[in-house]
Amino acid sequence: MDTIFIAIFSVTSIGIACAVLLCIASKVMYVKVDERVAAIQGCLPGSNCGACGYPGCNGYAEALITDLEVKTNLCTPGGSMVVEELSKIMGVEGGIISKKLAVIHCLGDCEVQQMKMDYTGIKTCYAATEVFGGQGACTYGCLGYGDCKIACPSDAICIENNLAKINSNCTGCGLCVKACPNKIITIEENFNAPVVMCQNHEKGGAVRKKCSKGCIACTKCVRECPVTAITMEDSLAVIDPEKCNNCGHCIEICMTKCIKAVV
Amino acid sequence: MSFEGLIIIMVSAAIVNNLVLIQFLGICPFLGVSKDMKSATGMGLAVLFVMFFATLVTWPIQMFLLEPNGLGYLQTIVFVLIIAALVQFIEIVLKRYIPALHVSLGVYLPLMTTNCALFAVTLMNVQKGYSLIESVVNSVGAGLGFLLAMTLFSAIRKHIENSDPPECFKGAPLTLIAAAILSISFFGFSGVIENLFG
Amino acid sequence: MNNTKILINGIIKENPVLILLLGLCPALAVSTQAENAIGMGAATTFVLVCSNITISLLRKVIPDKVRIPCYIVLVAGFVTLVQIVVEAYAYTLYQALGIFLPLITVNCIVFGRAEIFASKNRVFSSFIDAIGMGAGFTLALLIIASIREIFGSGTWFGMEIPILIDNNIPIFTLAPGGFVVFGLLVAAVNKFSKTKARKDFGCKGCPQAAVCGKGDIK
Repeated sequence: MDTIFIAIFSVTSIGIACAVLLCIASKVMYVKVDERVAAIQGCLPGSNCGACGYPGCNGYAEALITDLEVKTNLCTPGGSMVVEELSKIMGVEGGIISKKLAVIHCLGDCEVQQMKMDYTGIKTCYAATEVFGGQGACTYGCLGYGDCKIACPSDAICIENNLAKINSNCTGCGLCVKACPNKIITIEENFNAPVVMCQNHEKGGAVRKKCSKGCIACTKCVRECPVTAITMEDSLAVIDPEKCNNCGHCIEICMTKCIKAVV
Repeated sequence: MSFEGLIIIMVSAAIVNNLVLIQFLGICPFLGVSKDMKSATGMGLAVLFVMFFATLVTWPIQMFLLEPNGLGYLQTIVFVLIIAALVQFIEIVLKRYIPALHVSLGVYLPLMTTNCALFAVTLMNVQKGYSLIESVVNSVGAGLGFLLAMTLFSAIRKHIENSDPPECFKGAPLTLIAAAILSISFFGFSGVIENLFG
Repeated sequence: MNNTKILINGIIKENPVLILLLGLCPALAVSTQAENAIGMGAATTFVLVCSNITISLLRKVIPDKVRIPCYIVLVAGFVTLVQIVVEAYAYTLYQALGIFLPLITVNCIVFGRAEIFASKNRVFSSFIDAIGMGAGFTLALLIIASIREIFGSGTWFGMEIPILIDNNIPIFTLAPGGFVVFGLLVAAVNKFSKTKARKDFGCKGCPQAAVCGKGDIK
């Protein structure tokens, strides 16, 4: 009988001791957590994409609470709904959220681009760039193994004919920009200017041999732009969105049809 | 216990009898949290950290409370209880005094309650009849071994993710076979202990 | 869900080891001999049955906030019971299982079933679920152990197998062999069954995600 009693007594007392210790510890070392943090986390999308510039949704929530300068319209994936909710919680004006979209600056799918070899290595863009810049002749363009697709949290990228394409799911979070080893993806705001869908900096003839939809630096758009918004930098047309009036003339006259409107 | 003896315990726990790769302890976190190196090292560090404190607490309880009263059979239940409470306690303390550490390790702490590597090491310390210092050295060694295995394996897994195996091998099976190869390489250390000091 | 379905579910469709990939530590560590596998399976099944029944009985009594510590202590209690019984009546098994016997306490399967099934279902269903899961665990362990024992030491349940006994491959009984056999087995299950094994390890699908409450580690 004694053994049972001792056993029960010791286990119970250890249990109680632990419980008491934890209770005291949680009271003494209580850290005040702003209840708004939880509320904010509740209305953020929770995909931790980092588009707001903070480490994850949690980081943004804490930044909002601790720094009053932080704007409530940084969450692009969440859209205006989230901005409204955040502003309500924080008690400030919402501000407008600008719509952002990722743009892949390449049109070189397997039909228009020449291949220089048959690549059978590891099927990722990053690995392919390490082997003579991938199997396509153009070393500036899309490799088509979908590193961006894997990085995309909102299922907005699909690979067609070895070329990544952005669909309407895009929230402009910018994770694909970091994933692309050739850096051909940019995030566009406002959409008040067309974009050049090529990143090849080689001379026109070289581009022509490799891809029928690349910028061949013919300077036709530079000459014909009514507001001189286009310049030729390192054999690639660059459109200045500040000057551009979005007339669409360059889209029509481009020799290789590599200038496109964003939407 | 001489200094050499402690070194032998440490090396043996960390490498020769590596927790994960030789003794099959803590397989769940080893396979589950090794997808990227950051979380793998985080998990490894958390195990190392908690293992150290758990040994400091459980060893005296076993030696001064359970054994003198003939309650050795209550070991399992008491240790689980103590470790669960300890993990909670560590979390509270970290949150209050070392928030930076809490941010990096906090996510993994609740997992420690049911981590078999942690539990097994505290039991093994008692089973092998180690003194307090030896126990602590053994725990730290085992924790370091776990950290080593986690970090190495997360680096390997990064390359597995990029490979293109037959459909049925995708995911778990390939990961397990990679673990087997890493485990074989750790068997290469098996003669080290005898010849560590000449 | 009727009871036969629950039973079959545990053994085949949601086999804890081969499909859900849970409880791998004991599954790999003690599966060097078929005999140990049966012993481990039986011990785990017993703990599973006891804990499922008790937790199901107490599911309305245990407050939600402290349910995890309660489960831990309950399971640890039953494990101690098993430990004492095995030590008394099957000492060789006790030595063979070694540290993995007390480690049933922290076995994901026991915990997972308590959290997912027993805390929400009636006593009899929980009992059936425990039997199913236990049988599934034992079956998987037996398969792994058979392969490892036959090729690793050329015996099966201690019976010598004519040719293999002289040509055994010891690495099967060591740690790497465990990983390889299990990996190939999961691949085989993926290949030949309709239900695919959990594609990936990680917090998604882990029953402990609820225990740790932060199921978002990559």
